[in-house]
Amino acid sequence: MTLLEIHQAEIEAIIARYASKRSAVLPLLYLAQDTYGYLTDDAIREVAAILALPATDVFEVVGFYTLFYNRPVGTWVLQVCDDVPCCYCGAEELIAALKQTLGISEDETTSDGMFTLQRVKCLAACDRAPVLQANLDYVYDVTPDRVQMLLNDLRARAAEARKRGVSGRFAEDYEFTRDGRLVQIERFSPYRPREFVIEPPAAPASPPSSVAPEADAGLDRSDTRKASPL
Amino acid sequence: MGLSEHIVMRELDIPDIADFEVYRRHGGWEAYRYALTEKTPADIVQMVKESGLRGRGGAGFPTGIKWGFLPKGVYPRYLLCNCDESEPGTFNNHQIIDKNPHQLIEGVALSAYAIEANVAYIYMRGEFAAAARTLERAIAQAYAAGFLGKKILGTDFDLDIYVHRGAGAYICGEETALMESLEGKIGQPRLKPPFPAVAGLYGKPTIINNVETLANVPRIVEKGVAWYRSHGTEKSPGTKCFSLSGHVNRPGNYELPFGVPLRELIESPEYGGGMKGGRPVKIIIPGGASAPWLTAEHLDVPLDYESVAAAGSMLGSGAVIVLNDTVSAPHVAYKMDEFFKHESCGKCTPCREGTHWLVRVLHRMVEEGHATTADIDTLHSIYRQMAGNCFCLLGESAVMPIKSALQLFPHEFEALVKQSSHRNGHHIPLMAHR
Repeated sequence: MTLLEIHQAEIEAIIARYASKRSAVLPLLYLAQDTYGYLTDDAIREVAAILALPATDVFEVVGFYTLFYNRPVGTWVLQVCDDVPCCYCGAEELIAALKQTLGISEDETTSDGMFTLQRVKCLAACDRAPVLQANLDYVYDVTPDRVQMLLNDLRARAAEARKRGVSGRFAEDYEFTRDGRLVQIERFSPYRPREFVIEPPAAPASPPSSVAPEADAGLDRSDTRKASPL
Repeated sequence: MGLSEHIVMRELDIPDIADFEVYRRHGGWEAYRYALTEKTPADIVQMVKESGLRGRGGAGFPTGIKWGFLPKGVYPRYLLCNCDESEPGTFNNHQIIDKNPHQLIEGVALSAYAIEANVAYIYMRGEFAAAARTLERAIAQAYAAGFLGKKILGTDFDLDIYVHRGAGAYICGEETALMESLEGKIGQPRLKPPFPAVAGLYGKPTIINNVETLANVPRIVEKGVAWYRSHGTEKSPGTKCFSLSGHVNRPGNYELPFGVPLRELIESPEYGGGMKGGRPVKIIIPGGASAPWLTAEHLDVPLDYESVAAAGSMLGSGAVIVLNDTVSAPHVAYKMDEFFKHESCGKCTPCREGTHWLVRVLHRMVEEGHATTADIDTLHSIYRQMAGNCFCLLGESAVMPIKSALQLFPHEFEALVKQSSHRNGHHIPLMAHR
């Protein structure tokens, strides 16, 4: 199955958002990356073909942006911010703990293919340092003593196939509670019973498919809402 | 001087404020409904102009005046919301969207109406993946309620808002690089002029505003210019979400009227709660990584654009990083310039090569412990060659950390040289590669 065959509706909805097809290159690369695990040369050419672009242009884009991986990465890509101020608030200690626990250095993947470790630049969560992203899910306040718990949780989620793609299309954020448990941050639910009456618009508009609330319909969110099994 | 009423971070403590109906019940979307049904786009532009709202992304340019640069009668126009928040120390856009996405969407919708744009894109950094989903769900709710889409609220106004995720490049926060990225290219800035208001996205007139700027617009329209101007100072009206981080007891976002002294932000138990462990303040970076540094002697500087500029720095994005006496100034400069080196897009030589050489020299001095007196001159020489010669502000910003460190803490660089010669007994020649 080609990318276009697997995701035809989503790809068409993405392209429809822009006046120029080329604008869809980043979203389609994310889609390809999640579909194939990383961006193989063939995947990049496929995206180029869908958008009728020279393949070189798409290779250039993949090389420029840091969230595109053109070589295999682990099931979980751990990205630790080591910028100022994080580096003075425990980021270096966190990286050291991760390296020691995983037995790898930066930009390496564990032999079981589970974790890739990267240093990244500012993640815009300086108040919750030290902070990392696991497949673009934020995890806040990751002190070194919480590393083992986090890794166990990520392994458990991978085993239960609750791993989300490396591109963050279904990302959720996590934090540690006061008593040290790792929990998913509660988001609002758009599906609660309606309590208020909104005055009806003169011409009711239906949401475009591209931003439909159930864009991630295939994902069972009920289990990811509860606290991690730790 | 606290704030009785929040403008930008309003109602963040209300449970489920991210839900359309909860937001609506608290007066949300009302300014937009009022504008569409009772005001012309020109009225809204005039209101924003009179409010004195200034761009919160860093430059502090008056928003209403920016909107006024659009050429008359040229359509389509685009509104872009810049949420590529990636500069060390900045994190308020992230929190606004996470907690209260509808306020931003209402601000975007209102501003799109004001500038007569029918399509708006919210460009988010790729790492804001969960926040992008929050925003998309909220946008879908607004469509379902008829506040977005075709013929909105029975008027002739059509508006589509889309979330577009970048993929990890700080440079895409530069407005022309943002447009390049949105057009599916690598994020390298464009030459100005033409300015985006004349030829922006797809060559069409385009307005680009920061998240925090647009989040102000609903309250300005709802409560009026006089109410808005009653906050802050005359030249910097309104409030600012200061993102306080570093060695303080309570890092976080604090919305304060412009003009509050730095000391109050850092020390007040309501805000920063003082320095961790009571250690003294050494370096204050008041406006994100690109702001020149201040020190403890500047603690009484009021936080508004003019006062911070008069103290020799800039308020920028309002990201206040406070560091204590345990940090080494050369190390802070090294880490900051490493950020700029990593994020340099490579388009122009002074930035690409300058940041590279700054980091190389600093790495050897700070991390490897090999420093010579000549290194200090080299550092001065590198940043002087960069200053004023870079294509965009990224390269110019990279000058600030090293220049500040050399100016404010020259003895620390000299100490590195001294330690190095003690340790090695001889000078280490500059290596071509490390």
